[in-house]
Amino acid sequence: MAIGGRAVGQSGGRRVRAALLLAGVALGCHRGDRIVVGAKNFTESDLLAEIAAQQIERRTGLHVERKLHLGGTFVCHEAMLAGQIDLYVEYTGTAYTAVLKHAPGPSADSITRAVADEYRSRWGMVWLAPFGFNNTFAITVRQADAQRYALHAISDLARLAPGWKAGFGYEFLNREDGFPGLARTYGLRFASPPTALDLGLTYRALADGKIDVIAGNSTDGQLDALHLVALADDRHYFPPYEAAPVVRGELLQRHPEVGRALAELAGRIDDATMRRLNALADVEHRDLPAIARDWLERTLP
Amino acid sequence: MSLVRFYLNNAQEVLGLLGQHVLLVLVSTTIAVAIGVPVGILLTRRPSWRRAVLGLANVFQTIPSLALFGFLIPLPLLGGIGARTAIVALVVYALLPIVRNTYTGIAGIDPAVREAGRGMGMTDGELLRLVELPLAASVILAGIRVATVVGVGTATIAAAIGAGGLGVYIFRGVAVVDDRLILAGALPAALLALAADGLLGLVERRFAWR
Amino acid sequence: MTAVLEVRGLRYELPGRGKGEGGRVLVEDVSLSVAAGETLVLLGRSGSGKTTTLKLINRLLEPSGGEIIIAGRPATGVAPHRLRRGIGYVIQEVGLLPHLTVEQNVGLVPRLEGWPAARIAARVRELLVLVGLAPDQFAGRRPHELSGGQRQRVGVARALAVDPPLLLLDEPFGALDPITRAELQREFQGLEGRLGKAMVFVTHDVREGLLLGGRVGVMQAGRLVFLGTADELRRSGHPEVQAFLGAAA
Repeated sequence: MAIGGRAVGQSGGRRVRAALLLAGVALGCHRGDRIVVGAKNFTESDLLAEIAAQQIERRTGLHVERKLHLGGTFVCHEAMLAGQIDLYVEYTGTAYTAVLKHAPGPSADSITRAVADEYRSRWGMVWLAPFGFNNTFAITVRQADAQRYALHAISDLARLAPGWKAGFGYEFLNREDGFPGLARTYGLRFASPPTALDLGLTYRALADGKIDVIAGNSTDGQLDALHLVALADDRHYFPPYEAAPVVRGELLQRHPEVGRALAELAGRIDDATMRRLNALADVEHRDLPAIARDWLERTLP
Repeated sequence: MSLVRFYLNNAQEVLGLLGQHVLLVLVSTTIAVAIGVPVGILLTRRPSWRRAVLGLANVFQTIPSLALFGFLIPLPLLGGIGARTAIVALVVYALLPIVRNTYTGIAGIDPAVREAGRGMGMTDGELLRLVELPLAASVILAGIRVATVVGVGTATIAAAIGAGGLGVYIFRGVAVVDDRLILAGALPAALLALAADGLLGLVERRFAWR
Repeated sequence: MTAVLEVRGLRYELPGRGKGEGGRVLVEDVSLSVAAGETLVLLGRSGSGKTTTLKLINRLLEPSGGEIIIAGRPATGVAPHRLRRGIGYVIQEVGLLPHLTVEQNVGLVPRLEGWPAARIAARVRELLVLVGLAPDQFAGRRPHELSGGQRQRVGVARALAVDPPLLLLDEPFGALDPITRAELQREFQGLEGRLGKAMVFVTHDVREGLLLGGRVGVMQAGRLVFLGTADELRRSGHPEVQAFLGAAA
């Protein structure tokens, strides 16, 4: 799609061609060697995107542009469809229920396979091998409350719900595998409908006692730091959420070395590792590129 | 148009959110007037405080709304999620136009009128009631108008901290990438702002003295 | 005749910049007295302190020294706004309240004093006639609908509203065109005799001063360098007086 490939009039003058090339680059039309990595609007997604971007750069020497913290699942998916980003990290369960709009239920393997097949057939997008951890929704409460009311699993919440206040992000409230299904499966009936607020603020609000239960992420770094605890999904409501890079097929065709570079990341990050990396960012407030660089140098020298 | 159908199908929710939005703006603007006008009057009596007070109000204005909401949440009395915190933040944003316009409205009164008023034996209170406030009313109302219109827009952010209002549709629409939802929230908010601007503009013009 | 206004050794000093350091002295050792029915003209060039002196009398500025006695009572013994209700004050820019009608402007002090509405209405009519404005035509008008001369007539009417014993006028006709000014000067001269009030009239115009004043005081650099009748003024050898007379010729 390089602009140099199109006929530049009959003049063939070098200055004209150079000018048009410059214009093309300026307009972003010259995508030949530029790769764009996107991320959802939370730390883990940004971090994994940074790791993927650096891995591509160090193995292939290609230039990678980052568009981190874009928005939720749907924003990133739309960006992929529009070709504004070439890859981002998605979760199998999220893709299965929220993007492909299937009802949750099947096994982890069948979900993984279905997702890979449908993404390829419908949109020409390729699911690479997962990183190796499962970041499921963590219905989270304060440690003090968990101890006082002997809360271990989400089922234990049902009896307390009528007297408690819940707060969730906008995406969780409006996803099929989000609150509506959860409330049905566990019979959760809160006194008033859950408050809708910015996802990032839910942790704060929970820790400060303004709400009593939120839907966080199981690999979040802040759980320990804020004295929060995640309840077990005893009825297995949530599908597995295995994180993996999703790449536009067209990019892999142009640069197969990108696929090879990213394949090295397969199975390299387990739950504990992801939580530790998240904590480095969210609790110790270290710089994301530095965290990514350190980890890559240690794990894949 | 599908937007119209959306409103018809969700009439109750739409009216509820609209009502919440109007309430947020109404309450916060009223409180801002109750605080801001006296402060503005005070600044005309103590000009040396002007730079500090206006500077402070100016700083408040520059804090990005979401950041201010975030700061307020953990505070004991004013904080929490929900309408109360949103109102505190909205009051903060409404203060600058109201304080500044009260000050300039009163300070901009023809000095001869003020001198004549004092010279004929008006007390400070009578001067304020009979001369300064009536003559500054138009400018003060302009400040209230600006604060209200800005408030309608800022109140859409209140949905981020669980305070409801038309912003709920906007945030929901952004999260699930549904343009119609975003519009469903943004359109009434814009119309509300226009209506407030027009209405207060009418009142303002009634008080404009040559 | 007892004096309505007595001023002794009046002094006004601007606040200094530092401790112990005095500021500029705008009025120094001014003494004068004005009886009922008498008009004292204060003449002087810009910056001579004549307007400052006027403002010290009704305490728009607080004196730094000296005594002011009005109708037998020290001016400093009363609250300033109380004092000013008993003194008519007319300024060059007039200062009518633009959002009130002529009638409301003139009746302002009576209203502040709590007069009944009927009494205020009657008094306003009386005053408008006195200053040459037909009440039916002018009572309901707003200041911006009046000419400069008409506005100042209203200003004078306003100052007379509660019939104060003392009137202070600061270059009241200075902003008017020559024809209107002459007209108002003539009418004011007629009023003076009928009102029987003590008046201090500040101006920089010698001819106006000689026309309207019984006695004339000339101020220079904050001091009263001459005080006497119009005839004494013409015969005075003081350089400042001479300068004024020369300029008027």
